Amino acid sequence: MTQTQSAPPATVPAAPPPGASQPAPNARTANPRGAVAQWFEGTPGRMRAFLILAAAMSVVFGLAAAQGFSQSEGALDRAQANTAQLVRIQAIHTNLVSANADATNAFLVGGLEPPDQRAHFVNSLAAAAGLIAEAATAQPADRDVLGALNKTLITYGGLIEQARANNRQGLPIGSQYLKDANSVLQDDSLPLVKALVEANEKRVDTEFDGIGKGTIWVLAGGLLSLVIFAITLRWLARRTHRYLNVPIAAGAAIVLLTTVIGGVALAGASSSAKDTRSAEYDRTLALSRARIAAYDARSNESLTLIARGSGDAFDKAYTAAAAQVDEQLGKVGGSGGNLQRLWTAYKNVHTKVRTADGTEGNWDGAVAMAVGKNTADNSVATFSAFDASSNQQLTRTSTAVQSELKDARDGLPPIGWLGIPIGILAALLVAWGMSQRLEEYR
Amino acid sequence: MKKLIPLAAATALLLTACGNGNYAATQIPAKETPPTTSTTPAAPRPCADGQSALASYAPDAETPAPGGAMPAGSWMAKIKERGRLIAGVSADSFNLGYRDPITGKIQGFDIDMIQAVAKGIFPDADTNPNRVELRVISSPARIPSLRDTKNPVDIVARNMTINCDRWNDIAFSAEYYRSGQKTLVQSDNPAKSTADLSGQTVCAPAGSTSLTNLKEKNPKVKAVTADTDTGCLVMFQQGKAQGISGDDTVLAGDVAQDPYAKVLPERFSDEPYGLGISLTHPEFVKFVNVVLQQMKDDGRWKTSYDKWFALALGKAPVPPVAVYGRVPVHG
Repeated sequence: MTQTQSAPPATVPAAPPPGASQPAPNARTANPRGAVAQWFEGTPGRMRAFLILAAAMSVVFGLAAAQGFSQSEGALDRAQANTAQLVRIQAIHTNLVSANADATNAFLVGGLEPPDQRAHFVNSLAAAAGLIAEAATAQPADRDVLGALNKTLITYGGLIEQARANNRQGLPIGSQYLKDANSVLQDDSLPLVKALVEANEKRVDTEFDGIGKGTIWVLAGGLLSLVIFAITLRWLARRTHRYLNVPIAAGAAIVLLTTVIGGVALAGASSSAKDTRSAEYDRTLALSRARIAAYDARSNESLTLIARGSGDAFDKAYTAAAAQVDEQLGKVGGSGGNLQRLWTAYKNVHTKVRTADGTEGNWDGAVAMAVGKNTADNSVATFSAFDASSNQQLTRTSTAVQSELKDARDGLPPIGWLGIPIGILAALLVAWGMSQRLEEYR
Repeated sequence: MKKLIPLAAATALLLTACGNGNYAATQIPAKETPPTTSTTPAAPRPCADGQSALASYAPDAETPAPGGAMPAGSWMAKIKERGRLIAGVSADSFNLGYRDPITGKIQGFDIDMIQAVAKGIFPDADTNPNRVELRVISSPARIPSLRDTKNPVDIVARNMTINCDRWNDIAFSAEYYRSGQKTLVQSDNPAKSTADLSGQTVCAPAGSTSLTNLKEKNPKVKAVTADTDTGCLVMFQQGKAQGISGDDTVLAGDVAQDPYAKVLPERFSDEPYGLGISLTHPEFVKFVNVVLQQMKDDGRWKTSYDKWFALALGKAPVPPVAVYGRVPVHG
């Protein structure tokens, strides 16, 4: 190619005649490689080369923009889906520990369970079962573990019903079934739920991190294209002595505009997703964790009483769970003040329960508080107040996460599917602009 | 240049592949398998002083009469000062020590013994439920709960067999009931004795004399353990154990809760029950012995037996005769 470089300017007017005779040597040599080389020969050849390069780059830019947008949109969609799944799994967890808190508390009152508590237990377990089916559809990767979880819940439910049947007949073996049920939940079910929570938290993190990555595609594709457009325009201007090739410049403008709009939009979506992550999403996580730990603490309060004096391990578990509630409520921030107050009210009753049972040896008095028979110090009522209020806040924040992520996604310009048409348009403009110059060589 | 286009397209497609929604399946967490400790139990220790296992400390002139004033410095005075007797009991051995699911009260033959001891120290024990703190303990926790340095129990009434091995760790009252080990099987089991149960799984509480006796009686049975007697009954009802070996008192409670179980008639050991007390309080042991003797003499023992066991085990036998002669090592 280099040896022809000096020739073109001189042969500009003489170009058409050789163009007419071109097919002849082509046919003679019948060498395709020679034909390609000839096609790129001289100024028109270089024009063709630039045409192809710029047009191809336009299409690649279109692809990159589309890729960048669909990657970011996909990450936003998946972040939304995965946070929804995480909230679902946390709800399963909450329902299970809340059912177990009912069951262990019912043990303290014996066979005569309060109907409300029984209904709450049944509803919690039913809600967990429904959520498991929902979660298995929403995230196929979780299906195996959810299946295993379902199996443990069948065992758990069976043991609870056996415990009740025996309790109703006044047979002490009922308590053993209850103990076994509790250990199935603690040792078999909850580790599965914890594995699910971990896996989904990881997925949410991955997707939140991925939202910003789409920007790189758009910016890299756009900048590279603009460089090539600039080189092409500069070369054309020098070679043809025209300042501006309007169609090609228009193509460059389209690329620039798309890059700027796309980059700004993606950066905006990514930063609003980041805000959601550090505000509502974190608050949702903290609230879920606080609720789970609270139910855990409540179960352990009952278990400590059930163990009647040999429940040190349960009491320690209560202390750990209660500290976890405090820690998580601290992360909830502003709206957590009311919750902290309700939680402290429950903790105060718990302290009285422990004093009655541990220090005074007044087990019956402690149980009266724990099952809500003591109206002044009512562990049931104070806990319910915390439960209801925290549940309300959790619903609010998790809905906010969903709608904010949806807004971020819906606010994106439709470059995901417009990217390729835009690239093709730019390529066509390049072809048009270049063909105007190529015409002059006919 | 043309060649680069498909190449670029291919790389673009390749890069698209990352960051899609195909996640690796969530892993089912591996179960923590508790280490299978195949510890061979230590050989039972003999009585250090060569006395018979049944021999307890004889009451002496310093032992106060139940209901009277407790001598200063004695453990009874300490209990009185505290305001309540702390007893380690079972809450799941039907008729011995169990929690009535309907009333929520722990009751049974063992609990009657505790109540009598409490009444000996606190005359108002019958009317004031706070005079006794019943601590529910598991079978393996009986001796540790007495020897605990912080917050130990005063007395254990949890169908505990008196033997020399345990005398090395704790003291016993005089015998208050003579039980014996039997084996429970499903009602359609053709076995006539424990010898016929080779190869079958039989449950006994961990750390109990029943477990040792069972292995001695027929080493070919597959022994499994649970934490409590009732734990064994649950395993039996779930088909995880084909039989339960234990004291006839406990098995009587099991049969009462499960009509598809029967107790084989063969009785292969003597299980004299005693109340467990710390070795450091011999004066309390002597006091408890006085209380037990009073119960046996004035018919309260028989009343209690009739209430809890007559239905399952037949007419009341003669209460076991107290054996004394052991001299406390401490004080």
